[in-house]
Amino acid sequence: MLYRTAGQFKTSYRADQALFPIKQDSFLLGIILICAWVVFPLTASEFTFQTILTPILIYSLAALGLNILTGFAGQLSLGTGAFMGVGAYACYKMITLMPWMNPVIAILLSGVFSAGVGVAFGIPSLRIKGFYLAIATLAAQFFLVWLFEKWSWLYNDNASGAIQVPNLDMFGLYVAGPQASSITQYYLVLIIVSLLTYVAINLTRGNLGRTWKATRDMDIAAELIGINLMKSKLTAFAVSSYIVGVSGALFVFMWRGAAEPNLFDIPLSFRVLFIAIIGGLGSIMGNYLGAILIVGLPVVLNTVPAALGIHIESALVEHLNIMIIGSLIIFFLIIEPHGLAQLWRLIREKLIIWPFPH
Amino acid sequence: MKTFNKLALATALSVGFGACAIAEGIYAPNLTYRTGPFASTGIPLMDGQKDYMTLLNERDGGIGGVQINFEECETGYSTEKGVECYERTKADAVVTQPWSTGITLQVLPKTNTDMIPILAPGYGFSPMANGKVFKWAFNPPVSYWDGASMIVDFIADGDKGSLKGKKIVLLHLDHPFGKEPIPVLEAMAEAYDFELKLIPVGLKEMQNQSAQWLQIRRERPDNVIMWGWGAMNASAIAEAVKTKYPMDQFIGVWWAGHDADLKQVGEAGTGYKSISWSVPQSDAPMMADLKTHVLDAGKSTAEDPDSVFYQRGLVMSMFLAEGIAAAQAEFGVAEINPEQMRWGLENLNITDERLAELGMTGMVPPFSTSCSNHTGHSGAWMLEWDGEKFAPVSDLLMADAAFIEPLEMAESMAYAEANAPWPMNESCE
Repeated sequence: MLYRTAGQFKTSYRADQALFPIKQDSFLLGIILICAWVVFPLTASEFTFQTILTPILIYSLAALGLNILTGFAGQLSLGTGAFMGVGAYACYKMITLMPWMNPVIAILLSGVFSAGVGVAFGIPSLRIKGFYLAIATLAAQFFLVWLFEKWSWLYNDNASGAIQVPNLDMFGLYVAGPQASSITQYYLVLIIVSLLTYVAINLTRGNLGRTWKATRDMDIAAELIGINLMKSKLTAFAVSSYIVGVSGALFVFMWRGAAEPNLFDIPLSFRVLFIAIIGGLGSIMGNYLGAILIVGLPVVLNTVPAALGIHIESALVEHLNIMIIGSLIIFFLIIEPHGLAQLWRLIREKLIIWPFPH
Repeated sequence: MKTFNKLALATALSVGFGACAIAEGIYAPNLTYRTGPFASTGIPLMDGQKDYMTLLNERDGGIGGVQINFEECETGYSTEKGVECYERTKADAVVTQPWSTGITLQVLPKTNTDMIPILAPGYGFSPMANGKVFKWAFNPPVSYWDGASMIVDFIADGDKGSLKGKKIVLLHLDHPFGKEPIPVLEAMAEAYDFELKLIPVGLKEMQNQSAQWLQIRRERPDNVIMWGWGAMNASAIAEAVKTKYPMDQFIGVWWAGHDADLKQVGEAGTGYKSISWSVPQSDAPMMADLKTHVLDAGKSTAEDPDSVFYQRGLVMSMFLAEGIAAAQAEFGVAEINPEQMRWGLENLNITDERLAELGMTGMVPPFSTSCSNHTGHSGAWMLEWDGEKFAPVSDLLMADAAFIEPLEMAESMAYAEANAPWPMNESCE
């Protein structure tokens, strides 16, 4: 009823190929966008910005980058955290070497560096596949984190070995560093994330995306129909690492404000990988759903006992939280192994034919 | 729809509840880590901190007649959770106790805009001592740089000339915390002509230090100084025993003097030393009160009230309580705000008389803070493990101020410059 598609005729190929051919979908997207652009910023508190809204967007972007590589091109990577680190350190070096640089341009450029590093570590993918490739990217993970620790030029020989975001302004408004307000940072993150999501949707629908999917589904068949595997895999590594690098720069500059090398260690890679897997590999929307589950939900759960007026020890809440999130992950993966995005796809399908299922 | 619903729910919940941690009395949250990789060392300290506040609430009805709401927010030592806790508590809190160098580094730049004092007793960033730059941060009673200086002083035994030609190894956690003493030790190595060898222990190798100890055995250093935390200390002590490194040449920072770490080697650890600005005094009058009002009343989760770490936790909360009391006396209000709390922490005056009044004689050296000195530089004792417990083996050691002050000045100014525009506290002379 709500999702009735009857009467929505398409009279041109263009309309048929639109991003959202069903009216209700565009309507829903409109609501989500209005919420993200208007409602949340107007109503959210500092706490909500800092612990829910901004991190969900940044983690979604990182998962989106990984999803292009793993979900669309079928190349398993365990080095996401390190590639985020490359983006963050590249941005830090650009900002400190060239203080006149516009921060947004620096963030967007920092992805170029991680794309370069990503392609370099993607070269083994031309010869090895699956778990073996995962090991190669794991090497990238360990090597890069080691480099962040040992190469003191990267953190400007700071005694503590950590990088700290200076106050950066754009047209008289602070956008990064301690003086920046959360709402400015949120909007900047939202703009960049929306832009990259739009690019990613269109890339994956287009020629390049089809090449990736063909490579993922069966590389020999793809080669036989004339797809250049080297080009396909390396572009996937480049695009994926670019997005991951930008998310890393946002992670430090628009949210954390400071970072030490071990922040980019393997737990971060796994976290992003879990978001991508639980959200749904090979889906764009899944990354957002996954990030809401893994990043947003624990924060909300933590506030529940206090809100209900139950007094429990904070450590106990934390233990309960880990247990609840863990069982939710298992629950969702049992009812839909292809992730939350697939779950939504099924619900939507059922809604379209409701109330007359066949 | 799903995305929207979840987001909306998330926002509604947090908008509604995020700010509703309104507390009765004075809200002084503690960002604890009773879970995660460092929990074993965190728990006794945090028990001590909580129990001292419970004692004041039970025995005296709080401070100045106001109950202290010493709520905990669990971080598991993760900086991400730490920032979450900071954001959650900062609206009502009079102070923030970040409890990790990583979280301190993250929170430090925000304090000028959020106007909330950071209390980091015995940890954090050593240049925080310069109150002119770090208006809102406090790390009494000694900084890591003081600690490094006192350890070198102890090794030299009063005669700095004797350091010439010695070889000293710094076994440190490869992390901002572990790197803290390096600038001071390097400057001292140059001035006193001893050889300093840095041996880092990665966060991932904390529990497997065979490579590091092999290197120590090869280097044959005169002394090993350890800047370790959590699982690293227990493994280092076990490795030292295994490689038969002479324990009396092995000195740790105050976070490397956890009773439980040494109990596992027992007799074999005899002679191991740890510099400490707090000494357990189990027969102090305050401890007797604590026993009647808190421990025996079943209001505590503490397991070993005689341990160094538990009693250090008590001392830490004493700093905070004294700060609150000072602020109440100065401003004549019971429910102080963060601005007044800052004044209180800046005017701590812990004298021997005051310690006697509190029933805590000998638990911490006397010190006082001021506008320009946010550390107090109290000095510390060297504790030695005698096979069963830690006991002091030195007089009060003092840090070499002539060495530390210029470094503090330079580092804090560099920090301010890197974070320009950084407001200075011009009211200090």
